[in-house]
Amino acid sequence: MKTRLEERLYKEYITFFEKAERERRWNVFEDIPWDRVNKDAPEEMALCAETFCSVEMYLPDYVAQGINVVRPYFGNAWFQANWGYEESKHSLALGEYLMRSGKRTPEQMFDLHTKIFSKKWEMPFTTARQMTFYGCVQEMATFVIYVKHREMAAKHGDEALRTIYDFVARDEIAHTRFYQGVIKVLLEEDPEGTLADMAHVFANFEMPGVGLVPDYDSRILKMREAGIDRAVFIQKVYIPILKFLNVSRHDMLKAQSKAISEKRDREILKAAQSEEQGKAALISSNVPSA
Amino acid sequence: MSEKKDLLTMFKVVAARVDKRAFDNVTKESVITELGIDSLSMMQIVGEMETELGIMIPDEDLVELITVGDLVTKIGARVEG
Repeated sequence: MKTRLEERLYKEYITFFEKAERERRWNVFEDIPWDRVNKDAPEEMALCAETFCSVEMYLPDYVAQGINVVRPYFGNAWFQANWGYEESKHSLALGEYLMRSGKRTPEQMFDLHTKIFSKKWEMPFTTARQMTFYGCVQEMATFVIYVKHREMAAKHGDEALRTIYDFVARDEIAHTRFYQGVIKVLLEEDPEGTLADMAHVFANFEMPGVGLVPDYDSRILKMREAGIDRAVFIQKVYIPILKFLNVSRHDMLKAQSKAISEKRDREILKAAQSEEQGKAALISSNVPSA
Repeated sequence: MSEKKDLLTMFKVVAARVDKRAFDNVTKESVITELGIDSLSMMQIVGEMETELGIMIPDEDLVELITVGDLVTKIGARVEG
């Protein structure tokens, strides 16, 4: 029997999916003006495209683990399946760009596949709710990055790459809105627990490529040169997410402090109970049998 | 002056707790990004200082903090206010 929560989450998914079908489907091979690739665009643009393509290549890990953690919630699990399809096009489109622009050969791309798949992405958080909020932050950050790179592609007269970033940015903000819709539902169901999880995710957040994509640190430096820095992250990711959810930073921190304090109390209680049980066992083992 | 020095000390203690490393040599002139503190750790540090001091800084005011001194001044103004 479906619970009220599951019904609400399913409704979020169907609303998202219906809108995606109506407004957002695009074809990697037919909707990108491949005849308008700028083969003279700077290598920095190709390096950034390759970085994004690489991060998206961990898709099988994202989907496999993402679906499993939210499987108890039908709507969330089906969203993950659709998300996988949409994200797969991002990596495919960027890979096509790298080869059609002449910036990378098919052999280089296959070498990249091999390097990428030699490591496995693992979920940074353990619960469905934490991973949902992680998805929200990560998709929003990715949206901001893609919008910036869309501007750069336009500036360098690369209409093919500009179109790719336009399509992928629209997908990412749609994903963000789905995750935000789910978090809004979860905030109504369990405000304190959800706020504490949001604070926990923010406090431990890293983009998915860290430690996985080859030469990630030097790639990130290139990205920072494109203007995605700390101020941009706070202004365009952190603050807007909280505003959309009607949550204040301080509510989140208060819930986090309370959760940490309650966890500490449970651990102290557990330790005290263990000690008592240990003493009781020792006493009963020393009492001579009749 | 002494209150700003206390806030600087408080920043070092809170930053060490959040980022799990020492910030003993930090001064008011230290640039936050050059300390290796990312944006989310920065928000956590600010949040913990606000909680301990019982103040609230508007989110928009946090965007343009460049140095530790900028943050300490912002917090100091709220404490005095």
